[in-house]
Amino acid sequence: MSDEILSFENLTVQFGGVRACDAIDGHVKRGSLFALIGPNGAGKTTLVNAISGVYKPLPGAQVQFHPAGKPTEDLLSYRPFQIARLGVARTFQNLGLFMGENVLTNLLLGRYIHEHTRLIEGGLFTRRAVKRELAARQAIERVVDLLDLGAFKREPVGDLPYGVQKRVEFGRVLAMEPELLMLDEPMAGMSVDEKQDMIRYIYAAQDELDMTVFLIEHDMSVVMSIADHVMVLDFGQKIAEGTPAEMQQDERVIAAYLGTEMAEN
Amino acid sequence: MTAVENPAPQQEDSPTYRPSTIQRLLPFAVAAVVPFILGSTTENVNFWWKALITVVVLAVVARMAWVWTPRGELTHREDMRLWRTPSDRSWAAVTTFGLLVLPFILASDFTPPMDFPWATWFAVVNLVLIFAMGAAAFNLLVGYSGQISLAHVAFLALGSIVGGIVGVQWSGGNMWVALPAAALAGAVVGAISGLPALRLKHLYLLLATFGFHFVMMLVWREYLQEYFGFVGIRFKGENSPRIASWLHWLPGIDPDDNGEFIITGQFRWYWVLMPITVLSILFMVNVVRTREGRAFAAVRDRDVSASLLGINVARSKLLAFALSSAVVSMSGVLASFYIGSRGEDSFNVQTVLNYAIIIVVGGFSSIQGAIFGSAFFWFLPEWFKWAREELWIVRDIDFLSDYPSEIDLAIKGFLVVIILMFKPDGLAGLWKDVKGWIGRSLARRGP
Repeated sequence: MSDEILSFENLTVQFGGVRACDAIDGHVKRGSLFALIGPNGAGKTTLVNAISGVYKPLPGAQVQFHPAGKPTEDLLSYRPFQIARLGVARTFQNLGLFMGENVLTNLLLGRYIHEHTRLIEGGLFTRRAVKRELAARQAIERVVDLLDLGAFKREPVGDLPYGVQKRVEFGRVLAMEPELLMLDEPMAGMSVDEKQDMIRYIYAAQDELDMTVFLIEHDMSVVMSIADHVMVLDFGQKIAEGTPAEMQQDERVIAAYLGTEMAEN
Repeated sequence: MTAVENPAPQQEDSPTYRPSTIQRLLPFAVAAVVPFILGSTTENVNFWWKALITVVVLAVVARMAWVWTPRGELTHREDMRLWRTPSDRSWAAVTTFGLLVLPFILASDFTPPMDFPWATWFAVVNLVLIFAMGAAAFNLLVGYSGQISLAHVAFLALGSIVGGIVGVQWSGGNMWVALPAAALAGAVVGAISGLPALRLKHLYLLLATFGFHFVMMLVWREYLQEYFGFVGIRFKGENSPRIASWLHWLPGIDPDDNGEFIITGQFRWYWVLMPITVLSILFMVNVVRTREGRAFAAVRDRDVSASLLGINVARSKLLAFALSSAVVSMSGVLASFYIGSRGEDSFNVQTVLNYAIIIVVGGFSSIQGAIFGSAFFWFLPEWFKWAREELWIVRDIDFLSDYPSEIDLAIKGFLVVIILMFKPDGLAGLWKDVKGWIGRSLARRGP
């Protein structure tokens, strides 16, 4: 289907005897904001790890990525770095930043797949290498402006407050210019103000930069206000899927979040 | 809007200023030319006059570079320059001047008071250059790319083997062919030696690369026995490197009586070693600040995160091994030709540890730190020796002169511990602090 960007079927990830994800199916529409929610330990991050190639799902699974204007790719046949080059980028729940490096370097690493300077060119600092480096910096500049990171450019990431670090990581995936952006709890541990900023940035990525957003979130209220489509996981099982409004009414979802007793009352 | 107040950028309030291209290059041009003018007037000018001129030029050059630096909001191109801030540019100009004037000072017949070990300095400076090049490459691999390797000396040996085959057996003392050949061989063998890094990390990788060290030692011994016997390879005499006759028109090169220009003696070697070391360190610094170098650091910090940025972690690791080994092999060739002979006992495990000390003392995460580290490593024994023989009170303590090498080692070890305890980022970190302090106190004093 042409309006889908990602579809996964029968996705099972097993660690020893534990099925972290059990035969999960899902379809992400192009340009939409797809939210994956669920309580702690539901298997949300595992699912994203399986899609981005970090974990290998059990045989029988299918993960297909449909880049715009290009043939469909079977993501399971690729390694993580190849998946990233196809246009699937992701962030980490507890930050995948390089703490000792400054913000600029971290953001420039997001341009790695778009820059093509070879080692020797870089070492000789040839005219072409300089040109490409400049192009990368100009691309970064847009992200820096969007996320208000200008003041921190030369600061080591490790010295920055948590909210800014989250923003830097978000900026880094934006710099990759992916078609599909997978955000693993981008708002975890943030203040209300910071959350609102982050929601604004996510909207900007979706609308202005034409990215499809696959959002993992813990906080129901945030998801309900921004998502187009919600999938709910609990103990590795998909328990419900639909629009945010439907999910708020769904008994199994309420039970998963509040416990069965509360739901019965 | 954001929860955090922006820290005040340092250059925000300073007015925008752009020097012209001439102003930008002039301090470096002066720093590059004056040493040769001073050096060419050997006889007729008094040493102290020259010393005075040197100091004045040093100050002028530093000041020019300081003043003629872009200020205000920098463009990306200006921001990318290796020497960006006034302080950086000032130190760069001073270093340029220092590196060029140093051999002339050391070659002059000046004798410092109290027999300060002047005569041996030149040899030490040249050794520092060779070791700095090798240690910088070692640090690029171990410190910057995070691939713990003990195969360093193996690549020095590889350099000697390539120097022996290409430089001695094939061409009879052509170091210039041996250098690129060693770089090529080092890159290929280095990538192979890095293969365990794809599976192993930390201590396990250390052991695997240490295994590679012994394999290489075996190859070295076999090679020696096969072609040279136990006397080892002679890189001097008829095998000395020389400047080809078609290059004798170059300034500063006047052939000896037999029509050859042999690279021998500390002064000539300095002019070979210094540019090669400086250029190779610059090369590595450039690598580190462009795409592949950033990937090295990313793989070191978090390889999963790096791979999700589209970095092929395996390729990046092997690339780091190849680059580092190529430069180390080149330094191996230089060391072979400089020292003049290499035998069976030229390479040992102790040397690996020496290099490890150099990069740890110099600063683990800084490539330039290798220069400080190897200076520390080579100058200290010289100064200890001088102190034992000449320094007031110290020279009278018999105990010190009875056990010279043991005490040297003990003090050295003690200093290493002190540096690591109080300055974990090594002498490079210390230097950064000093630089910052000087820069700040200069900035406070005036515009």
